[in-house]
Amino acid sequence: MAARREFRILGMTPGEIWRGFISSVTGKVAFAFFAIMVAFSIYALVALPPNFGALWNTPSYWQVNPKYAPPAWINAFTGNAYAPQLAITNFNFTGGSSGGVGYAIVTFNVDYTYSTPWRNLYLIVRNPNVYNATSVAYLTVTRPDGKTIQLGPIAVNSQFIGLGLTPQLISQVDAFYQTNFGLPNAVPAGSSAIPYIFYTVQNGKLVPLNGIYKFTLTIYTFSSSTTIGKKDLSVVLEGEVFGLMGTDFLGHDLWLGLLAGFPIDLAVGLITAAIVVVLAILIGVVAAFYGGLVDEILTRVTDFFILLPAFPLLIVFSVMFQWNIWDAIVFLAAVSWGGSARVVRAMVMQIKTSQFIESAMAAGASRAWILRNHILPMVMPYTLYLFVVNVPGGILTLSAINFFNLAGAELPTWGNILAYANEFGALTSGYWWWVVPPGLLITFVAVTFIFVAMGLEPVVNPRLRHA
Amino acid sequence: MGLFRTLGIRAANLVVLLFVVLFVISYALSGPAAKLLETQIQLEARALVSQLAKSGHYTPAQIQELYNTLVDQLTKAYGLDKPMYIRVFYIMYNMLIFNWGYSYFPDIYGIASGRVADIITSALPGTVLLDTFGILLSAFIGIQIGLRSALRYGSKRDRAVMYYGAVSNGLPQWWVGILLLLVFSFYLQTVKSPIYFPSGGILSPQYYSMWFTSPLSVLTNPNALADLLWHFALPLATVLIVNVGGWAYFARTVTLNTAQEDFVTFAKIKGLPDGRITSRYILRPAAPAIMTSILLSLPFIIFGGFIITEAVFRWWGLGYVYNLAIFAPTPDMPVIVALTYASTLLYIALVLVLEVLYIVLDPRIRSE
Repeated sequence: MAARREFRILGMTPGEIWRGFISSVTGKVAFAFFAIMVAFSIYALVALPPNFGALWNTPSYWQVNPKYAPPAWINAFTGNAYAPQLAITNFNFTGGSSGGVGYAIVTFNVDYTYSTPWRNLYLIVRNPNVYNATSVAYLTVTRPDGKTIQLGPIAVNSQFIGLGLTPQLISQVDAFYQTNFGLPNAVPAGSSAIPYIFYTVQNGKLVPLNGIYKFTLTIYTFSSSTTIGKKDLSVVLEGEVFGLMGTDFLGHDLWLGLLAGFPIDLAVGLITAAIVVVLAILIGVVAAFYGGLVDEILTRVTDFFILLPAFPLLIVFSVMFQWNIWDAIVFLAAVSWGGSARVVRAMVMQIKTSQFIESAMAAGASRAWILRNHILPMVMPYTLYLFVVNVPGGILTLSAINFFNLAGAELPTWGNILAYANEFGALTSGYWWWVVPPGLLITFVAVTFIFVAMGLEPVVNPRLRHA
Repeated sequence: MGLFRTLGIRAANLVVLLFVVLFVISYALSGPAAKLLETQIQLEARALVSQLAKSGHYTPAQIQELYNTLVDQLTKAYGLDKPMYIRVFYIMYNMLIFNWGYSYFPDIYGIASGRVADIITSALPGTVLLDTFGILLSAFIGIQIGLRSALRYGSKRDRAVMYYGAVSNGLPQWWVGILLLLVFSFYLQTVKSPIYFPSGGILSPQYYSMWFTSPLSVLTNPNALADLLWHFALPLATVLIVNVGGWAYFARTVTLNTAQEDFVTFAKIKGLPDGRITSRYILRPAAPAIMTSILLSLPFIIFGGFIITEAVFRWWGLGYVYNLAIFAPTPDMPVIVALTYASTLLYIALVLVLEVLYIVLDPRIRSE
């Protein structure tokens, strides 16, 4: 029985490479950053619904008045309490009086995508005639899954119609919610029902139900002289926002969008780098190993791709062909392997001239055998380094493209979040919480890979070890 | 002889590159973009016809006929009646003979003549000022920092430079620009600071015509110059913050690699003074690599990385024009094609200069 061959790369076992990597300060920092990044990516994949990316934003909501809120922790410094509001769209009002009864019917939609649960739901009535008279309010909510919830009737006896806070029947989880919405028994009876309206039960777990909620509010005032005008009513929907990063112009919790960006931006970098590495190794090895005309042609092709102005072309093509993010990734990778291929080629050329290759040749080894047993094993460890080095470029270029609202505007990548921030005037209005975190996260992921590369450098390049 | 052959092959490669880029762009623009152009023609014809209808008395049939004739003529004028491959080569030919034509949307650039060549030349000084000057300045500062840092390898300052370089390589330049705008333009204005920076633009509006007609006269007029510098501060700061680190890191790596060569060790053993070792034995061999990198990155940076930075600052340079052309009501094809062609041309010219310089600087290649 043949002995199992020990797996060695660059004369080192994977364990030795790992120890070399983690022994340096940069390696330790890189490992910590990497762990944080992967943890957040996994958390995002597990915690966010699978269709979150597709739901996160659509242009039809853009006519809404901005509703921004800074992060909750900023209250500690400013002393101001901000009430983050949720986006209300398609606000329609009909009101008047008939037969001595004043009425108002308000329909509006709430975009609950990208938001965290609410505690409070307020309706503000401005006209004293309305709340001094005996008034009754009903609220009907139609969920994205088609289920309808009737809230009310409640007496309107103060300036606020508090749905959810006032101890009315609509605010309590009772048998109705338990049965109609399949809430698990773990939900305590008597707790506020409002958050559970925005959840659905999947596999016995409460999962936020994202989408458009349709609200219909009906108010009757039983007073002979009351009509309700549009001015008399306003709807305030307060979200209990997680608050780490504040909200954007739609009242969306930015933290969720940023969280959703982790796996996407990571995937963007990894896929680009993977394609680049495969192409670079293939072309570099073939060019250097076979030499002659093949080498000449491949070198010319490599030079061509090194010189190609990739970024303007990427922009132009994204506009012309309406590319999505995967098209852009493939194009970017397909034109940016040149430099890496040149390095691989130089490496193989150097290996080819070593004595052990000559000895193998003299011993009658075939070219394929030498390629498989000598050259590839010596080039392969470098692929890891090459891969890591190519990741930040992909992330940075594609977030720049996304910042132009090109290539994948439907996904919550950090570049897209910044594009929206720019589009909705965050720069000139001081909504810094919408601008700073996405850029910091892009930098974080890019820098993580740069640090990993820095930590790997002394391992793959032994000359640096003795510096 | 071998030298000339190498240079010849490089030059041929570059010319092929130019043609391929030109072909690809022309193809992209004559294919899908033609549909956009058709709607544009219809809009244009409708606008003209409605103007005519207002001023004269026409029957509906006459108006329809006028409209049809106009659409036909415009289609012919834009060459849309020809098959696609003819259009591709027509665009390519016109680019090659520098017949760059007229922009579809001259209004958005504010250039009265609407000629693409005028738009590009008006934007060129801004690009030279921000991109070329910015890159050269940051390269100069960064290389100084990198060299000093490499000569004290392992010190705390060296470590700091290394990490700064790594972080700045991962910073999106445009985002840094946004941050600076947020702090030094928006925030300083909200707190009513006496000194704050403009939120964008290359000059205050009253100097714009001056800049478009003769940029050099802006430099001689003290008021205009002060205004230009005031607008220039934030973009330049952005460029420096992001690029100095990258250059420092690069120069440090190159210098460290050279410092480990045997001939440096030998020079040390010989007991040569440190200054001489640094200048003759480390910096001189490292020069070609640094030089190559600067020259090669210049065009790359101008037509790549700066497109978005210029858009963020609304800095009147080629990158901003690119942005305007792409996000015009329909992509402004003549401008896009001309910009891409001009950038590739410039790029190729610089690379050729670089090849020659490389030979001058690197004796190893000369002796080949």
